[in-house]
Amino acid sequence: MTTLRLIRTGFVINLKMVGTSSFFLLTSTVQPVIFATIAFYMFRSGGRPGTLLYAALGAGMMGIWSTTLFASGGMIQWQRWQGTLELGVAAPPPLTLVYLPWSLANTFLGAYALAATLVWGRVLFGVPLHLAHPWLFALALPSALLALGLFGLLLGSSFILYRHANALANLLEYPVWIASGLIFSLSVLPGWSRPISWALPPYWAARALRDAAIGGPVWGPLGMTFALGAASVVAATLSLGWFEHRARARATLSLT
Amino acid sequence: MSGLERWFRVFLVGGVIAYRGLFNWIRPEIYIPTMLGSPLFQIVFFAKLGQYAGAEDTSFYVVGNAVQVCAMASVYGMTMAIANERWFGTLGPLLATPANRAAVFLGRGIPVLANGLIVSAFGFAVGVAVLGFRPGWATVPPLAVVVVATACSCTAFGMLLGSIGLRAKDFWFAANLTYFLMLLLCGVNVPLDVLPGWMSAISRCLPLTHGILAAREVAAGASLDSVGGLVWTELGIGACYATAAYGLFRVLERESRRAAVLDSY
Amino acid sequence: MAVIEAIDLRRTYRTTTGVVRRRPLEVEAVKGVWFAVERGELFGLLGPNGAGKTTTIKMLITLLLPTGGQARVLGHDVVAEPREVRRRIGYVFGGDRGLYERLSALDNLRYFAELYGVSGRGQRRRVDEVLELVGLKGRERERVEGYSRGMRQRLHIARGILHDPEVVFLDEPTIGVDPVGARELRALMANLIATGKTVLLTTHYMFEADELCDRIAVIASGEIVGQGTPAQLKAGVADGRVTEIEVFGIGDAALERVRGVSGVTAVTVEDRDQRQLLVVQSAGDRELTHELLGHLDGASVGRVATREPTLEDAYVALVTR
Repeated sequence: MTTLRLIRTGFVINLKMVGTSSFFLLTSTVQPVIFATIAFYMFRSGGRPGTLLYAALGAGMMGIWSTTLFASGGMIQWQRWQGTLELGVAAPPPLTLVYLPWSLANTFLGAYALAATLVWGRVLFGVPLHLAHPWLFALALPSALLALGLFGLLLGSSFILYRHANALANLLEYPVWIASGLIFSLSVLPGWSRPISWALPPYWAARALRDAAIGGPVWGPLGMTFALGAASVVAATLSLGWFEHRARARATLSLT
Repeated sequence: MSGLERWFRVFLVGGVIAYRGLFNWIRPEIYIPTMLGSPLFQIVFFAKLGQYAGAEDTSFYVVGNAVQVCAMASVYGMTMAIANERWFGTLGPLLATPANRAAVFLGRGIPVLANGLIVSAFGFAVGVAVLGFRPGWATVPPLAVVVVATACSCTAFGMLLGSIGLRAKDFWFAANLTYFLMLLLCGVNVPLDVLPGWMSAISRCLPLTHGILAAREVAAGASLDSVGGLVWTELGIGACYATAAYGLFRVLERESRRAAVLDSY
Repeated sequence: MAVIEAIDLRRTYRTTTGVVRRRPLEVEAVKGVWFAVERGELFGLLGPNGAGKTTTIKMLITLLLPTGGQARVLGHDVVAEPREVRRRIGYVFGGDRGLYERLSALDNLRYFAELYGVSGRGQRRRVDEVLELVGLKGRERERVEGYSRGMRQRLHIARGILHDPEVVFLDEPTIGVDPVGARELRALMANLIATGKTVLLTTHYMFEADELCDRIAVIASGEIVGQGTPAQLKAGVADGRVTEIEVFGIGDAALERVRGVSGVTAVTVEDRDQRQLLVVQSAGDRELTHELLGHLDGASVGRVATREPTLEDAYVALVTR
């Protein structure tokens, strides 16, 4: 019970911190909106029918991935800069539990991106916002965000171990957009890349959301999303344990 | 040494040293992901998106993005070269020197330009290796000329942004915004005639737009002469930005000496 | 049973030196530290910057692994049972970092309360109590980014005692705080003892250690060079005197001669604008003033005074030995 309380409190606190930052709001909405616009024009001139909703969803999910990658991925590094990483380690709960709520909150705020692209699409490009399975969509969205938040914790716990994490984070934006088939079908990619796609939580999350919105089997992809999310938590716990031990041995907890 | 000689020394030597002083990029573990990795995947992303959408053929996206990544290296590089002076607090000491301002900042542009060309060449190589882009060897020299011209005008644009960055708050947001807007507006991924009129009007005032138009024609086999007009327009736009940047910088410098805000962040 | 025990505690850092060819370098920050703190004590770890105080305290609170020796807090080994230790201690450090700037003090406290298991209705009450105790009541809804250094320190203390720990570790808590604020903080620290806690304090302000601590361990260059109550430490230099001579421009040769005078135990020079204050400690009761002045040839001399030694002198004697 206290575990859930801890997660909830941390989640709300971080939501408050980041969600009220105008910088975050702008960066999390402007990029997806511009990509959505590029996609709208490309799909329109390409003449593929019924793809504008697909494009809006795709661009929104690209934004969710960017938030997961940069906000959740950078989250533990940020704690170190703030001087609060030590406090996180000194606190009784295990590190995974301390930082899980932060990662979740960051990724949930990525939903701003999705809202922005859908609204933008509707208002400026007349994208029909008719969802094939509205209730499933309402279930799939928070579920997808939860699973991606767990994956974000894994990213954060890995990045803190690597000195040039920022460069690495930059490098994972486009490739994951490509491999997860967020805004185009995997059919345009070579066959050997499929296993990479299947290992990525964003791929399954996107499929679940798309199927709920446009039509298709939602439960399979949703199940895979959760499975990968669970695997992420396990991997993150191992990674954080390793990090904590190393940081205590090498006195790097409070380095900037 | 003569005044001209001194100007050149500040320009060349000062530029390269300052570049290395301000950037960490020379180290492979940062350079490769940032300067080569990201452009590679950007080109692949848009080529595949274009393929799926059935909008234009692959070479359209390869040329557009390969030139754009050079532009972005130039814009970011130049912006950072100037704005980072403020961040590191080196602007004050720099301005206290008697060095000619134009020489100092133009000198910063050289390595930025060189870097942009490397990145662009890499981008085209990616197109050839991964996406089946086959422009033919004869197109390489004229393409190089077009890319150099574009890189120059983008570097000038970066100078303007950098000068603005010396005073504006939350400046990085604007710099990032430029990246995305260029992807949308400069004909990189969306042909100008598909964009609404007011957008393409903005496009024509931005660097990169004419350069990409020229690059596409040259890649398709046109001669350098036939795209001469576009190339000169691109350079002309760059010159305007350079002048504006220089002017802005002098104004800011004078004003900050009056108001003592040079080192305030 | 001692509440905090340090048993031959050691910490070595491995770094590299040189730019072109990196050579490994081992720096011994803590070279075998022994002390024990009893329940209800306010124990001070006093030493100059770089002496190893922060390294020692971080080992005790499980943030740093010792490279040798052992440490126990409330009977639990800091290496083998970090969780047990963390649950029962509070950690307060000085400085501007370590708080969530964009949150209010209240939110910061609520978050840490949750982390330390202070939850439910008890949480609100406890947070209120703690705010009252540190004197931040009324300002708790403001964002921390607007707080002064003194207020941040008080918030750090509030955070450190939220879960009512038995032992509180304070790492240079008054650093950078104005004198009035620092005095209030010290009153707070003394108050913690009154509520039955055990406190370990690191500081480089001797007057602070003298005022607050029941016992002090003086640490310099990674080793304990003296331990005892303030009175005991003063007694170490009590049967001596301190001669203070104001000089204007004293040379190294003259200083060496002064050091060589028989009976002199420690010589320090403090810079005061244009002047320097030469502080000479000597053992025994002999009047040394004339002899000392005799060695200061050439230098202009201002005020001369002799006095009894203070804890500061004892400290200087210990760390400059």
